[in-house]
Amino acid sequence: MTAGAGTAGVSPLRRLRLADIGILWITVALFVLLWQTSDAFLTTANLRNIVDQQSLIVLAGAAATLTLISGNFDISLSATFINASIATALVFNDTGSAPLAIGAGVACGIVFGLVNGLLVTLVRINSFIATLASSFVFYGIGFLLSDRSIVRVQDRDFRQIAQGRDWGLTNASWIAVVVVLAFWFLLERTRFGRHLFAVGGNPEAARLAGIRVENVVITTFVLTGAASALAGALLASRTLSAQPSDDFSFVFSVLTAVIVGGTSIAGGEGAVWRTVLGAFFIALMNNGFNLHQIDPIIQRLIQGAVMLLAVAADSWTRSRRLGTR
Amino acid sequence: MIEGRSLTKRFGGTVALDDVTVAIEAGTVHALVGENGAGKSTLGKVLAGVYQPDRGEVVVDGSAVQLRSPKAALALGITMVAQELSLVPARSVIDNVFLGIESHRCGVLSRSESHRRFDELAARYGVEAAPQATVGALSVAEQQRVEILRALARDARVIVMDEPTARLSHDEGKALGATLRDLVARGVTVVYVSHFLNEVLELSDRVTVLRNGRLVRTNRTADEQHRTLVEGIAGRELDAAYPAAPAVPEEAEPVLRLDRLTRDGEFADVSIEVRAGEIVTLAGLVGSGRTEVARTVYGATRPTSGTMELSGRDFRPSSPRAAIDRGVAMIPESRRTEGLLLMRPVTDNVSLPHLDRFTSVGVLRRGDERTRVAAAVQGVQLTGASITTPMFELSGGNQQKSLFARCMLDPPKLLVADEPTRGVDVGSKRAIYDLMVALASEGMAILAVSSEIDEVLGISHRIVVMREGRVAGELDGATAAEADLMALAFGVEGARAETRAGREESREEI
Repeated sequence: MTAGAGTAGVSPLRRLRLADIGILWITVALFVLLWQTSDAFLTTANLRNIVDQQSLIVLAGAAATLTLISGNFDISLSATFINASIATALVFNDTGSAPLAIGAGVACGIVFGLVNGLLVTLVRINSFIATLASSFVFYGIGFLLSDRSIVRVQDRDFRQIAQGRDWGLTNASWIAVVVVLAFWFLLERTRFGRHLFAVGGNPEAARLAGIRVENVVITTFVLTGAASALAGALLASRTLSAQPSDDFSFVFSVLTAVIVGGTSIAGGEGAVWRTVLGAFFIALMNNGFNLHQIDPIIQRLIQGAVMLLAVAADSWTRSRRLGTR
Repeated sequence: MIEGRSLTKRFGGTVALDDVTVAIEAGTVHALVGENGAGKSTLGKVLAGVYQPDRGEVVVDGSAVQLRSPKAALALGITMVAQELSLVPARSVIDNVFLGIESHRCGVLSRSESHRRFDELAARYGVEAAPQATVGALSVAEQQRVEILRALARDARVIVMDEPTARLSHDEGKALGATLRDLVARGVTVVYVSHFLNEVLELSDRVTVLRNGRLVRTNRTADEQHRTLVEGIAGRELDAAYPAAPAVPEEAEPVLRLDRLTRDGEFADVSIEVRAGEIVTLAGLVGSGRTEVARTVYGATRPTSGTMELSGRDFRPSSPRAAIDRGVAMIPESRRTEGLLLMRPVTDNVSLPHLDRFTSVGVLRRGDERTRVAAAVQGVQLTGASITTPMFELSGGNQQKSLFARCMLDPPKLLVADEPTRGVDVGSKRAIYDLMVALASEGMAILAVSSEIDEVLGISHRIVVMREGRVAGELDGATAAEADLMALAFGVEGARAETRAGREESREEI
């Protein structure tokens, strides 16, 4: 290696490491800002609410991070989320068994995930389009299942599944913590995680290294389906109801968290902790808007700008690193 | 007159150009030569405004200029005809030539005016092309002429040609040379980037030799010979660039045996044997089917007919995984697109195909992995980087060594090495040759593919020359000469030339 190449390696390295954890600094800075400017911010109730509100997004986001790292999008996780809540509510009303109800919701997510995975790998449809189209099918199924009306859960005890409290946080929050740790472990400590980074970073290189690319991609869709469905089941518990709709807002919240966290939309890079920070950054921002009574229109402008900034930062660092333009 | 003064250009951790000063005189063909990765293409691109130098300046007619984009360079009369042509295939020749500078009246195209300009242009520079032909239907050579016309239509005085003959046949290359000489006679300046030294000697007035991103010398071509250029490019006496490979023992068993292996549209009736401890190199022109054979052996594609045997047993890998499991490893042709995960650390890249060895119930034993990767990396003399360094920060040579380390982690019986030293600096090249020879002497069978003739002659026990998807002949590595290899690769021998003509006729019938 030449001396010139050695010295060139140092300075960009330092700069990139700083940029790598930018989301951490920004989140901490926002936290301090809100703490200093609002008395209502640093209260147990407010913080617990923030965590509880974000728990479902973080739960689905941890899994969606894997899909993005594999180089794919899963737009249908909104539809899975809604369907799982309907399935959970229906099964619980029928059987009175919470494990069975949640199991039904998650099973529904696994099936949807499998369908998406097969569409992307075997039929070779671009994942964005495949999951957008499958979303509408899933939404349709939701309307059929629920007979086009709100499904109410009569037994109020079912609410405890998500909203019961232990050690200061809601059960939904604790479940999110466990799921996040599980996905972090899967991504950072297992063979599957390595294969995932390889498939997203360079599918041809992954194939030539002996990785079964299709299996890896299908698995990420199944995991995302299952996690979104678990979030849906918890939603049914939290609201004691399930409502069919064709609302895409959940997937947008989830993807915003993943992308603002710094997971690359180009695939091959990202981390579960990033998504957690991304979700809390968005939550803190919204909390700040509310505490300071910012005009909702201004809120939208800022949210959109933040997302653009995150994607721009990603594409900028990538092009610097890869020497492309 | 165009000059580059102290030009330096970096890409990530690689210094592509290091303080290079060069002066190109108007009305000459000025060749830039060097190995892959020597910086000749980068220099051409800096002069044409495609890349901006990190340091140094470009001087045109005595005044320093900022070439911020190809467009800015074009405004000064400098343009580039890239290796990958940038035409719009679905449009006609004339549309492509005037793309962006169409003749129009208030936005309405004026066809008669366009034709008048086209005819004038073609006559003035003596470059022929049918104006109404659809570009996508033309041959590469014809498309290149359209690119040249397009440059001339924009009043280019200096044209940078990047490896223009890499995708041309021998005759087309000759014709291009004549066209370029003709242009120069009419006052155009040509910067000619090429690694075909014979072409450079024949065509250019002056030649600049680059090595490792640095200037070796600029000289009148008349004062250079093939040998002096090669020595300038390699930076040492040619013979010393390659380690001596020990002879293959008489009793060595065949590891790979291909029998009339065929893959429709790519190669046909390829029969090759590689014995333990033997380095067999597939040589021939780009597109002669070498890489395709290598990929089939590795299970990346499947043959249509014929058989393969590995260590005496039937071998039909359905995927790279199956080939790896039978003890085959491959260094792919392009490390960036087929080999590496650039954003991931060295460790992840090296251990990727062998994760099963470091996994218990799906969970990685990372300490174990690090130890083994560190040992493999040391074995290939990867210097100046640690195993946690992201791959994109490594030089080309170290990236290539990482791919070797990947193979070494679980030494295969058969190593398929496609262009093992492409885009690698001279020092790393020698290290890679040493490694290949060491592996062979330990009994590994190596099937290499190489486009660099010196390399083919320098490292092989045996050379299999391919032409148009078939084996054109075999040469002994110890005695083969460049002329023998070229004769087989181009098929210029009497008898062989006949068979080739026969095949071309039959193709026309189809």
